[in-house]
Amino acid sequence: MLIVDSVDAGYGHVGVLEAVSLCVQPGSIVALVGRNGAGKSTLLRVISGLIAPTKGGIRFEGLDIAGKRPHTIVNCGLLHVAEGRRIFRNQTVADNLELGLYGLTISREEYRRRLEPVYSMFPILRERRDQLAGALSGGQQQMLAIAQAVIRGPKLLMLDEPSLGLAPILVDQVFDAIVSLRRSGVAILLVEQMVERALEISDYCYVLQSGRMTADGAARDMARSDALRTAYMGDHDSGSN
Amino acid sequence: MDPDILVRGLTAGSLYALVAVSFNILYRPTNVFNFAQGELVMLGAMLFAAGKSTVGLPWPLALLATLAAVGTLGLAEEFIAVAPILARSKTGTGWVITTLAISLIVSNLVGWIWGPDPILVKPPAPLSLDTFEFAGLRLNSYVIALAALTIALVALIERAYRTLQGKAVLAVAEDREAALLRGINPARLSRWSFFLGGAFAGLTGILAAPILYASTSMGPALLLKGFAAAAVGSIGNNRGALIAGYLIGITEAVGASLLSPGYQEAVVFLVVLTVLLMRPQGLFGLATTRTV
Repeated sequence: MLIVDSVDAGYGHVGVLEAVSLCVQPGSIVALVGRNGAGKSTLLRVISGLIAPTKGGIRFEGLDIAGKRPHTIVNCGLLHVAEGRRIFRNQTVADNLELGLYGLTISREEYRRRLEPVYSMFPILRERRDQLAGALSGGQQQMLAIAQAVIRGPKLLMLDEPSLGLAPILVDQVFDAIVSLRRSGVAILLVEQMVERALEISDYCYVLQSGRMTADGAARDMARSDALRTAYMGDHDSGSN
Repeated sequence: MDPDILVRGLTAGSLYALVAVSFNILYRPTNVFNFAQGELVMLGAMLFAAGKSTVGLPWPLALLATLAAVGTLGLAEEFIAVAPILARSKTGTGWVITTLAISLIVSNLVGWIWGPDPILVKPPAPLSLDTFEFAGLRLNSYVIALAALTIALVALIERAYRTLQGKAVLAVAEDREAALLRGINPARLSRWSFFLGGAFAGLTGILAAPILYASTSMGPALLLKGFAAAAVGSIGNNRGALIAGYLIGITEAVGASLLSPGYQEAVVFLVVLTVLLMRPQGLFGLATTRTV
């Protein structure tokens, strides 16, 4: 449903991605892994339209979305939950969720109907719906960020480091949510630094290294592959992670 | 003490508050200060005066025509002077010069068409500028109506931010990129804000006309003090702008009566400077923090 075909992209004159290709099948979870600075977030930003690719094509459900503006891409059903819990802190939880539906013409009933599954996925959001989003804990903010995208009924959800900085119990909740979203038919492109956990729930995996795809394969096989170890450790240096 | 202090303070304060709010309307989704705002206020006064006396329109019609015209000019300004700059860089500051250029163009065009002479505009029927005594202070019905309308308008604008479109504007103001990823189109909100902010400036001009007379010289003064009110009341905060507007208006009137009218500007800006040195974020702003 999502096909990224040899895309080049970067910031200004600095190239970050080079001939990157990737494919997400309907209803699958695809993990995108690689070291910090490999270009994972940049790739998501290119797909969601925050950065225009300088070369290559991006198709979503047959539609050419390369270089389209973000709100157009959102309206195609491709949602991006950016890294760092980018919610609107000065507005209430309920307002944040309402903003998740911005631009859709839906009735008050429909709004409430869409709220229900989101609240049952993250019950804490219902409890704290009238509080400012900035007053939520980090984990709750991450749930709100995901909920904001989920309420819109995405076909493909891109999650950038959803577990970053969360307590282990909240990480479990976030991963459970991802699995249950897939069960309801949402495809997921997951960028995650907890590689093992990401591979456990993923169907397919891509490894990005210094702006290039260096390996890909079924998540099951990748968990044991050398390509992954190389990507994280590098050939020589002791590297990060 | 000068018995006219209250009238002068309330009058000027209402106008400064309104200009400050019109600044805020534009600022929120764009982070742009429209330096043509003072001239849009002036244009509103001139168009209304011309529509009423030269063309002979009834005042509600002149009002609507003026709001539409100044709003449209605000929209045109966004297209010509702001959108191209922001398209190049979201943090660029080229709009300082381009909006100033629009300000000069409007000012010169109006001067060229109507000349430098102030035009007298009478307040609409039941209201008047005739003063009456009330508890030892002199007031007039126009000033009371003006202050009431100012407060009502601020309340209305604040209500508008409770609608979905209003919440979207606040979302863009807080995190433009996150707003983009939620399907919000900031360019569209920015156009609407320039239209509405322009119309609001036009309305301010219409309200100012009976007091200041409609003339090309009203722009710069209102721009400066309206900006001061917006800064003291914390940029983007409309309730703050309302209170700061009256604070500045009354300071000015007191300064003029205690010292001399020649010093009133100095007194105002001394107060503004003192406030901003102590609280750079204004009286009603929280020093914003962003946790990651």
